[in-house]
Amino acid sequence: MIKLTKLLTIFTMIVLFPISAETKETYIPILVPITGFLSLEGTAQRNGAIQALDEASSSLKIKYEVSDTSTSPEIAVTALQRALSRGKPVAIAAPIFGTQMLAMLPIAKRAGVPLITVSGTAKLTELDNPFIFRFFPGDAVVKVAHARYVTEVLRAKRPALLYQTTAYGQSGYSHLSKALRKAGVPLVFEEALAPSVKDMLPALTKLRAAKPDVILLHLHSTPTALVIRQARNSGIELPIVAGSAMHQPSTAKLLKNHQLRGVCAETAASPISETHPELIQFTTEYKKRFQTLPDAFALAQYDGMNMVITALRSGAKTAMDIRNWLATNTFNGLAMKYKSDGKGNMGHDATIVCYDGKTKTPKITKKYLNVDGTFN
Amino acid sequence: MSSLYSRDFIVTLIIMLIPLCLALNTDSYGQRIMTLSGIYAIAAMGYHLIFGRLGALSLAQGCFFGLGAYSAGLIGVHFGLSFLTCLLFAVIFTALVSLIIALPVLRLESHYFALATLGIAQVALLIAINWTEVTGGANGTYGIPQLDLFGVELSSSSDVLIFVWVILVIIVSLTFWIMRAPFNYQVTLLKDTPEVAASSGIDIGRWRLTFFIMSAIFGAIAGALQAYTIGVVSPATLEFQVMVSILAMTVIGGKNHPAGAVIGAILLTHLPEWFRFLETHYLIAYGAALLCTIIVAPSGIFGLFEKFIIRNPGYDVKSLPSKENKAVSDTNSTSLEIQGLSKTYGGIKALKNLNMTLTSYQIVGLVGPNGSGKSTLINIISGLQRQDEGTIELDGSFIENTASYKRSNRGIARTYQTSLRSSDLNVYQAILACSSNQHNLKHRHNQTHAILRNSRLISKTESMVGDLSTADARELDLCMALATEPKILLLDEPAAGLSSAEQQFLSTKIRHLAQSGISILIVDHSMDFLLPVVDRLICLDQGSVVAEGVPAKVLADPKALKLYFGNARS
Repeated sequence: MIKLTKLLTIFTMIVLFPISAETKETYIPILVPITGFLSLEGTAQRNGAIQALDEASSSLKIKYEVSDTSTSPEIAVTALQRALSRGKPVAIAAPIFGTQMLAMLPIAKRAGVPLITVSGTAKLTELDNPFIFRFFPGDAVVKVAHARYVTEVLRAKRPALLYQTTAYGQSGYSHLSKALRKAGVPLVFEEALAPSVKDMLPALTKLRAAKPDVILLHLHSTPTALVIRQARNSGIELPIVAGSAMHQPSTAKLLKNHQLRGVCAETAASPISETHPELIQFTTEYKKRFQTLPDAFALAQYDGMNMVITALRSGAKTAMDIRNWLATNTFNGLAMKYKSDGKGNMGHDATIVCYDGKTKTPKITKKYLNVDGTFN
Repeated sequence: MSSLYSRDFIVTLIIMLIPLCLALNTDSYGQRIMTLSGIYAIAAMGYHLIFGRLGALSLAQGCFFGLGAYSAGLIGVHFGLSFLTCLLFAVIFTALVSLIIALPVLRLESHYFALATLGIAQVALLIAINWTEVTGGANGTYGIPQLDLFGVELSSSSDVLIFVWVILVIIVSLTFWIMRAPFNYQVTLLKDTPEVAASSGIDIGRWRLTFFIMSAIFGAIAGALQAYTIGVVSPATLEFQVMVSILAMTVIGGKNHPAGAVIGAILLTHLPEWFRFLETHYLIAYGAALLCTIIVAPSGIFGLFEKFIIRNPGYDVKSLPSKENKAVSDTNSTSLEIQGLSKTYGGIKALKNLNMTLTSYQIVGLVGPNGSGKSTLINIISGLQRQDEGTIELDGSFIENTASYKRSNRGIARTYQTSLRSSDLNVYQAILACSSNQHNLKHRHNQTHAILRNSRLISKTESMVGDLSTADARELDLCMALATEPKILLLDEPAAGLSSAEQQFLSTKIRHLAQSGISILIVDHSMDFLLPVVDRLICLDQGSVVAEGVPAKVLADPKALKLYFGNARS
């Protein structure tokens, strides 16, 4: 009986509660959504972070571990608690999903660990939390560029918007509609779509009835492709300026070349469109390693982790050292120059890319630098 | 509390305490996982009541979980009240919402009920996403304060773990108290055969409402705790995924026992963590593990545990008091007066202006060809169906608009053409479940004992109902009807499938019952069984009485002969 109790105790200890790993290596967990409706973006984050950390491993002893945060705050918080219990992380690659970040921020603050994210949700950097560093330009940057391109370059007068019901969608909608109103071109139609919606024709029919001269999208990857495909198939040939999901090669893959004609997207960067040798090298290496093309999220996470690595190489040893270094230094990343605006917004440039209908590689059409004036 | 139930309660507490003690000696991550297990066990406990016990496939448990999370979280953020105050608000709010939902939804059956509850959950999700000003929209509401107890913040993970599990222990204890014998048997009867339960004096509507609201309250408590342990409440708490998790926990753990909810919650909260090292493939491993569990333990892990480790001691009838209680109430003269009863199904008239009287000490036989209205009449008298016209008067009171369970409580009992086939009750439990609610538990045990001593089932008290032979099942039907202390006993084809010897035994028993003062109405097609036992015979055709009187008179009636007995007998 005693033996049975002992066995039971040992088994439960082993299986129920993983043993904490004590190591002298620098520990940087990667907590991203690699399942669920944000798996494309989360996988890009994961790949970008891994590439940066692996490249640094020749000179630094870095231990990383990938945990899925799926699409609920609860899972993200659990993954964070797990990471914090398994060592002393100096920084954490944190999920793109804004709702998860909102749940993780207070814990990261208590633990004193900086979160390196590419989430665009504006609220994240408005909470006076000194432990968030966002390496993807927030909606306050990209949505302003989005609106400026629509009003200044396309000279649209009647924009219509389809956006997602998620935190990402609502944040983008808020900034985009505000920027358009400011430009004197208010939306003539707007509708929120749940990520699970597959039939976009009802929304497109209502949109067409509003007689817009441009369609704006702020949707996740698959819904973006579905809207464009169903719009083109139903004879809607209006120009479409989509959110950053459209610049992703995985999104373009879901569409035929002719369906992409007249489609543009805002993004922080488009690594596959760039001609700079360092970016070409990044893209080549990424493709070789992960058998897929990189997008702006992968590049931004890569840049974010490289800024952390630069901090480590500059002598930062603890999580607080890293936080302080990130908060006060400027970093020349592959996508752009990064500098905190005091709230953790590191990226301040936006790019507009457009497809010509002949290939799935978009061309960089317009760059908006220092949109929020951080570098002034 | 019976010894069986005391033992079950202790087993459940042990199942809870072992992992809890282990978790208290681990790191904050291990404690957090156990905290989440406790929270989901509370939600699953509610689902155990509504789904496991009552068999109602509610898909609103995730919705109640989310409502609890939102209501407690929003109050906490905007008014800065203590957790217990917010929890109380969440419980009251969710209970009220569930009450409003219950009124239309509980009238629905099976998949209609499931779809309606699913629809409600989807509406709640849409409100959470789109009512941005109040709920924070898709971002949700953040900045929910940490758990506190009377103003003292529970800052350490072990404090939170203990707090959550103390609440779980309270809820498990409450569940055991609600489901104490013989109410648990009544609920099982209600789940398996609602019509039998209704005609045995069990108020189906009250039980369904109680369980639905209790499940909502448990869900709300779990949701409130989740919101306070995460610090954020978002639409994710209202998504279908939460409902699926709670359902899976209840089923995998074992839906028929409170311990199953706890085991399921612990397992399904930990399982993804164990497979976390598999990165993107962990969900495949998780799904495979769940599939294997269902195949190996179709009645859940606790069901397997119960089957191989815990032997059900059953009820030792011999150990019960030997006092010979009367199986039926002392019956003064009773009469049931039926006047002008009519019932139409579409264009078919099942009963036409039917008049009939049943009195004490009398056995009346009801015969007629198929479709003549015999079963309809019994269904209307017992309250399972409503008449279109006419009155039913029992001892001077009109009962035609009274609910079935109330008619049972006033002394009308019945059996069914198809015998009870419950997989979860044994003979003793089935009879005890039907015993009159108006007596205390000791009296009900004595009464059950007395009924069994006068029955052939005395040696089969621990046999599961589903395992009985046809004759024994018929006998059990009669015992269950007698447990309600009837004044009027309606027997629907009691001799169907019985041998001559068994029919003889039944005849003798029916005569004894009539001699004790019970008025008995028998519908049966076996004339060899019916004619010797009845005092009066009524022949129905197309809903009307064709012939009535002593058997010899009816047998001589040309109309009855032609309609029912055929020309060969004339």
